[in-house]
Parts: sequence; C-alpha cells; structure tokens
Amino acid sequence: MMMSCRNIELGGTSVLDLMPCGCSCSSSPTSRRILFGNRSKTIGRRSYGAGNMVFLRRDSGSCRAIPAKPKESSLVNGLGEDKTVMINLRQEPRKPISLENLFEVVADDLQSLNDNLLSIVGAENPVLTSAAEQIFSAGGKRMRPGLVFLVSQATADLAGLKELTVEHRRLAEIIEMIHTASLIHDDVLDESDMRRGKETVHELFGTRVAVLAGDFMFAQASWYLANLENLEVIKLISQVIKDFASGEIKQASSLFDFDVKLDDYLLKSYYKTASLVAASTKGAAIFSRVESEVAEQMYQFGKNLGLSFQVVDDILDFTQSSEQLGKPAANDLAKGNITAPVIFALENEPRLREIIESEFCEPGSLEEAIEMVRSGGGIKRAQELAKEKAELALKNLDCLPRSGFRSALEDMVMFNLERID
Amino acid sequence: MRPGLVFLVSRATAELAGLKELTTEHRRLGEIIEMIHTASLIHDDVLDESDMRRGKETVHELFGTRVAVLAGDFMFAQASWYLANLENLEVIKLISQVIKDFASGEIKQASSLFDCDVTLDDYLPKSYYKTASLVAASTKGAAIFSRVQTDVTEQMYEFGKNLGLSFQVVDDILDFTQSSEQLGKPAGSDLAKGNLTAPVIFALEKVPRLREIIESEFCEEGSLEEAIELVREGGGIRRAQELAREKADDALKNLQCLPQSGFRSALEQMVMFNLERID
Repeated sequence: MMMSCRNIELGGTSVLDLMPCGCSCSSSPTSRRILFGNRSKTIGRRSYGAGNMVFLRRDSGSCRAIPAKPKESSLVNGLGEDKTVMINLRQEPRKPISLENLFEVVADDLQSLNDNLLSIVGAENPVLTSAAEQIFSAGGKRMRPGLVFLVSQATADLAGLKELTVEHRRLAEIIEMIHTASLIHDDVLDESDMRRGKETVHELFGTRVAVLAGDFMFAQASWYLANLENLEVIKLISQVIKDFASGEIKQASSLFDFDVKLDDYLLKSYYKTASLVAASTKGAAIFSRVESEVAEQMYQFGKNLGLSFQVVDDILDFTQSSEQLGKPAANDLAKGNITAPVIFALENEPRLREIIESEFCEPGSLEEAIEMVRSGGGIKRAQELAKEKAELALKNLDCLPRSGFRSALEDMVMFNLERID
Repeated sequence: MRPGLVFLVSRATAELAGLKELTTEHRRLGEIIEMIHTASLIHDDVLDESDMRRGKETVHELFGTRVAVLAGDFMFAQASWYLANLENLEVIKLISQVIKDFASGEIKQASSLFDCDVTLDDYLPKSYYKTASLVAASTKGAAIFSRVQTDVTEQMYEFGKNLGLSFQVVDDILDFTQSSEQLGKPAGSDLAKGNLTAPVIFALEKVPRLREIIESEFCEEGSLEEAIELVREGGGIRRAQELAREKADDALKNLQCLPQSGFRSALEQMVMFNLERID
C-alpha cells in the first residue's frame, strides 16, 4: 500500500494526511522510507538531489512510484517543504523517471503531432517521406514538443484556458521541425553516420537529400511560423534559427581549441540547444496569454533546462558506451569539440592539453584523454554544473500554480539529471 | 538584379504614396532578398554538384560541402531574423512563402529529372518556385513598404512574377545557345543533368528521337551534343523565345499602373534587357 504523507495536488489539504492510494501494491519493508532531496548545498527553500525524489503520480489513475537511489534518509528542510513526497512501499524494482511516463498526460497531443509531422514532410515527395521516417522514427524523444504541451497546460490555468489552442499545437510542430532539420544538417556538418542507433539521413540517402530535407523542413517551419501571425513568437523563433547557425559556426571554428572557457562553452550550448528549448517554453506561455513576467520565467526555465540537458549530454558522451549512445563514444572529444568535462579537467591536467593538441594522432591517445578527463575531476564538476542549472530551472517554475503539469515539468528537470546518476 | 528591382520599384511606387526617399525597410528588404538569393545559390550548387558558377568555383568546390551548407544556413537564418525584425506580417508571410517555394522547387526538379513526360504546366510552376517567386516577393514587398494601395502592390507582384518567369526562360535558352565561357559554367548542363526546360519540352513535341536520347540519360558518347542539336531543329529555342516574350509583354502591362518616371522606364528597360540576351 502506498502511503502519502504530504498534500497531493489531487486531493487532501492537511499536512501529514495519510492516504491510502487504493491500488493493490504490496508493501515492502526495504522500500519503506521517506526520501527527500538530500544535498550538501541547500538552495532556498528547496533542495533537490539528482535521483533522490520519490514521486507518486496519480494522473493516470495508477500508482507509479518513481523510486530514488538509496541515500542517507535525513530530512532536509523537514516537513515544511510544500512538496508532494510519497513513501514507496512497493516491492517492484526501481524505475527511473521515464519520458514516457512524464509525457503520459500529453500523450494524445504528441501522437497527433507525430502524425502531422510525417504528413507535412511526406506530402511533398516520397524521398522526403523516407528521409522523414528515418529521422522521425529513430527514437526521437519529442522532448521539445512535450515541453511545449506541458508548459501550455501548466500556464493555461493562470490564464483561464481550458485546452491547448491550435497555436500551441502548431508551435510544437514548428519546434520539432526546426529541431529535426538542425539534426539532419548537423550530421552533414559533423560527417556523422549514426544517430540514435540508426544511420543518419545523409549516410543513407546522400548529402543532397539531407541538405534538401533540412532546407525543406526549415522552410516549412518558417512558413507555419509566419502564418501564426504573432510577431513576438516569430521574432523569438527567428532568433533561435539564427542562434543555431551561430552555434555551429562557433563550434566549427573552435575545434581543438583548449583555450575555450566555460563562458564560451555555455554560450555555444545556449546557441545550440538551450535557445530552442527556451523559445519553446516561452512561446507556449505567450500563446497561453499569461503575463510577461510568467513568460519570462518560462523562458529562463527553458534556458536553464536546456543548458542542464546539454551538459548532461556532454557528460554522457564520456560515460556511456557506443551502444547506449547510439553513436560512437567520446565522439565530441575525438572531433575536437571541447565540452564541459574537458574544460574542467584541463584546469588540472596539463598532459591532457598536450594530447588534445596532438589531435589524437597517436593510437590510444583518445582513450588516455578520456581517462584523464575522469581523473581530472572533469565529470564530477560537470555534474555539479548540470545540477546547478537544474536548480535554477526548478526555481523558475515557482510562478506556476501547482498541478500535475507543473510536477511533470519538475520531473523533466530531474529526469535529465538521472541520466548521469 | 533583385535588390536593384527592389530599389527601382520602391522609388517608382514612392511617388504614388508621396514618399520622398527610400525607407530603412526598403533597404533592409533589398538585403534580405539578396541574402536569400545567395544562400539558395550556395545550396543549389551543393544539390546539383556544380563546380562552377559565374566563371568561378562554387563555394562547396572551394571550401567543401560542410562550409557550403553552413554558409547557406547562416544566410537563410540571418535573412529570417532581419525579416522578423521588420515587424511587417504581410511581408514576413510573403517572404516565408518564397523560402518554402524554393525548397518545393528544388524537390520538384530533383524528382523529375530525365522525365520526358514533363509538360509546360509542370515547368512553369517549377520556374515560379525557383525564380519568379522571389522576384515577385521583392517587387511586391517594395510596394508594400511604399504604402501604396493593394491593387498596385498586386500589380507589382504580377510584374515581378512575369519578369521572373521571362528571366528563367531566357536563362534556360542560354544554356543551349551560349558557350561555356559565356555561361561561366558548362554548356548544356541543365540537359546533361536531366533538368528538362522550356526549349526541350517544346522540342520533345516534335522530335521523338530526342525522347530516346534523354531516356538513355546520355550514356552514349556524343548523345548530349546530338540532343542539343535536336532541340534547335525541333524549334525548341524559337518557341521558348516566344514564351519569354509573352511573359515580358505581360510584365510591361503590369507597369501601367505606375506614373511615368525615370524609375518606371528603368523597370521597362529591365524587361527588355532580359529579352536582348536572346536576340
């Protein structure tokens, strides 16, 4: 049986209410614990540690605990925390937050999005359809549209909106098209032949089809954007497209440049990743017609989430295997793309600089470099950076009313961090 | 040429609206148009695998495919950003339509290479997408920023469209009639790549042998030269010239709504200059 000892957004108003959840879960002494965020650093009212949250979400009428890794069960911040925490009494194996679960509340919206995207891109030409299927079906998480839908719903309350508008849906499609188009072109630019475990579009269909498919998607996205007839959103998204190009150029011109600083890296990560996420979340808020301070907070949320996400991606490039990544491991480093873990490690390991300078001409030098990044504390400090941005992102959500949607957004921040636990 | 058109139409329409000078918007529009045009050329050369343009190596020939893709993307992105910051929804939609048309035109062309069933009704939309759409948006955009009445902006749109089509047909004729030195790229390159343009479409109606050669995709030595000769004999060049003139006449008519001025004359001359390329 599940016991809840806090308010749940769905019901119960008094503190320390114990509410059976009514599902047939068996209890287990080993998992009977209260886990709060437990960090050495407490930020404001909250303290969140990656993977230390236990959430019981009842949005879909089922009880799914998302258990955390075992940590010291000290109650940081006590019970003054206005946050739903559940005791997991089930005996099932631990499951991390999954995007699927997270997006369950907007699953139908995402399905329609998928269908629309395939038909928009495929309508023009069978070759494009094949290219579209190759990239759209290759395990895309639909994180950005998911964010648009969640923020739309989470902000809708503030503005008294009942449902997602057509504009919200269209915004999500535009965002995903831009994201996908940039992936297709990025793979051409990086000369990558694998993405998400499948061949890239240009590997399979050639550079020409890849350039054309990317151009077509950018063009379609721009056209739909223009026809939304909202100048603020048009400018917002146009800025993103410009940022993408700037980010690619920045990256291409600083390969193997070990004087690159954290500020350069954060700016490049902003251009390449966070800019689009921030525009997604702010755009969603704009179409919910909320006040500009809320729209700005949503922008910051997207930006911080996006940066956290990019840092995690950059860590995983070192810590995961090729199978897990769906592409060769330590790809970034091999190409001379110096990311957070490396930047931090370079401060401690002069030898690392030499190896990178040699552009890995000697066999085994890449492996040596990876090891030095670890031993130089690069991974650890990058993890801290990711968490720092995650905390900022969570703060940005404070302006939203409590809801399943807001929780899902919080979960998204945590899900990202769990990838590096 | 395109920015030149923007400035000429801006000034030619300015009088109607009592404008004294070009506005910042006019100038910015000229820049946006030229960036889009240039970006599309860079990408087109990647798509066509062309190594020469205007007598020089193409960007991707000299700097590689990656730089070409990136340069094109950057220019498209910059153009879109400047466009958005013009804050004129009508022009934003107009130009976004063009960018979409470019992509559609490339796709249409890529998927109908060596397709001898292509008719004039396929060729004209493709030429519209690839060329005339941008010219029409340039001229209409200029009129919009001059704040003239809608019927005038519509006439400017039609002017740009007809001029653009005329221009494309002339380009397609020259691909047959000029030498490589004059063209700055290999002669007959459209046909060689299977891109069937107006002269070929007309000649195909008369010369069955031409169809065979094209379908063979010029695998035999000398077949491209034979095909070029057949296009001439089949009256392809001549009928394409007539088509170019027809569109030019339509373009001149579209200028009638403008007051007589040096600028209007310059626009008329632009139409004639284009035709003179094939005299």
